[in-house]
Amino acid sequence: MPNLKIDEIHRDAMQEITNVAMGQAGDKLARLLDTFVILSIPHIDIMRPSDIVMALQAVDSRDSVSGVCQGFIGGGISGEAMLLFNDTSFTDLAKLMNYDDELDQQAERELLMDATNVLFGACLNGIAEQIDVSFSFGPPLVLGQHRKFSEIFNTENAKWENALVTEINYQLENYDVNCDLLIIMTEESLDLLFKKLDYLLEA
Amino acid sequence: MSKPNDFLNDFHWLMDVLRSIDVGLVILDKEFRIEVWNSFMQNHSVLRPEDVLNQVIFEQFPELPEAWFRRKAQSVFDLQISAFTTWEQRPYLFRFQNYRPITSLADFMYQNCTLIPLKNATGDVEHICLIIYDVTEVAVNRIQIQAANAKLHELSRTDGLTSLLNRKTWEMELDEEYRRFSRYHHSTSLIMFDIDHFKAINDNYGHPAGDEVIRETARILKENLREIDIAGRYGGEEFAVVLVNTNAEGAQTVAERIRTQVAASTVFYEDLSMNYTISLGIAELSSSMSDKTQWIDCADKALYQAKHGGRNNSVIFLGS
Repeated sequence: MPNLKIDEIHRDAMQEITNVAMGQAGDKLARLLDTFVILSIPHIDIMRPSDIVMALQAVDSRDSVSGVCQGFIGGGISGEAMLLFNDTSFTDLAKLMNYDDELDQQAERELLMDATNVLFGACLNGIAEQIDVSFSFGPPLVLGQHRKFSEIFNTENAKWENALVTEINYQLENYDVNCDLLIIMTEESLDLLFKKLDYLLEA
Repeated sequence: MSKPNDFLNDFHWLMDVLRSIDVGLVILDKEFRIEVWNSFMQNHSVLRPEDVLNQVIFEQFPELPEAWFRRKAQSVFDLQISAFTTWEQRPYLFRFQNYRPITSLADFMYQNCTLIPLKNATGDVEHICLIIYDVTEVAVNRIQIQAANAKLHELSRTDGLTSLLNRKTWEMELDEEYRRFSRYHHSTSLIMFDIDHFKAINDNYGHPAGDEVIRETARILKENLREIDIAGRYGGEEFAVVLVNTNAEGAQTVAERIRTQVAASTVFYEDLSMNYTISLGIAELSSSMSDKTQWIDCADKALYQAKHGGRNNSVIFLGS
């Protein structure tokens, strides 16, 4: 199987769409948390399972992380969004989201889910709107807490070969919160996605 | 162009579907008053629409955690995005009976919930829809798998006869303690001990009787330890304990307590009654020991001295 590639035009278009969607998501997050959100430039590429770990900015392969994923599907495009928190982020995140209780595993799970709801919802809806599809979402699933990334995301047993990965790094000003949002779209979605992008580019 | 009649038909069909679909549908306004209550909710809550409509949901369902739910709902109203909660976060929002009260292992219905914003004609969100999914089967299966995994994990760490740590796990824990010592230099001691003339017990009374003696020894050992101590079955009739934050003298106090209790105990097996003793070697970890193997060697040497000193006693290792 030849390695799939994404051309510059499509990458630029995808980056533009993601920028807009992230801006909206970041704005919503900033309003919810009442703090300034620093966004990275989205990193977009076609990757194999083993490439994903290298794309992560917030986590080192040795760090312990917590992660949540959520599936989406609609208009012939499907994939999963994945949010990975460096474990050092939790205390500050709890402060921001007004969690006064002691931060046990359960409370951390809540925190993860709340942050996930906001980031996934806003970002994916933003993307969907621009390419004129509407996504259905599965329930979010906590992939693991306080684990190494390789334990959360098993690359050896992955059943896919190539996927379009969009990586966005979020940081919060004056807080030690660092997380990576990955949007992974399946290979089967790409023909349609690129057609949608072409259509946007022509307009 | 469809005729008004078709539109009415479609509308009725849709309403029928929403009413009877096997997920819970509740529509709430900004004051959390219930505006729609479908039959799933009616049947499981045993409350009719006329009982709950226009009532504030928290008053009807005290089990619903108000502060938590308000916070979730607020983000749906304000940000116009959906919010999800899963049974792993909160097993249920409404305490409903599960669908199989007879054959299921669950006491209640596990629920996943989605909160979606409902926009009005002007694009504002003044209502939210709460969707309740019954995920009892999935949850029960997951919980059983987790329990089985925890059991397997426990089994892989412990020794079947005594429930003490098995040798492999104990050595890993010992290694950890050795490394903690290299950082903090707190006092920490190791006791190695074995049952005196164990071979004779096996030869005279048989192996099942010998097992009973080992089990009794492990029981006495466990009774005399704190939560933080690390006790393992080192070999056949050999035991090993790391006493954290304990110097050699403190360890000998513990060792003597175990020794006297063992000497005073009688093991009954079938119609046999057996008295036996143990010998113990103690070594406090010091910076001069280059690795954990040397630490074990020192405790072993002390144990050897205890054996040569007539058995049924404990000896502290005092340098070579």
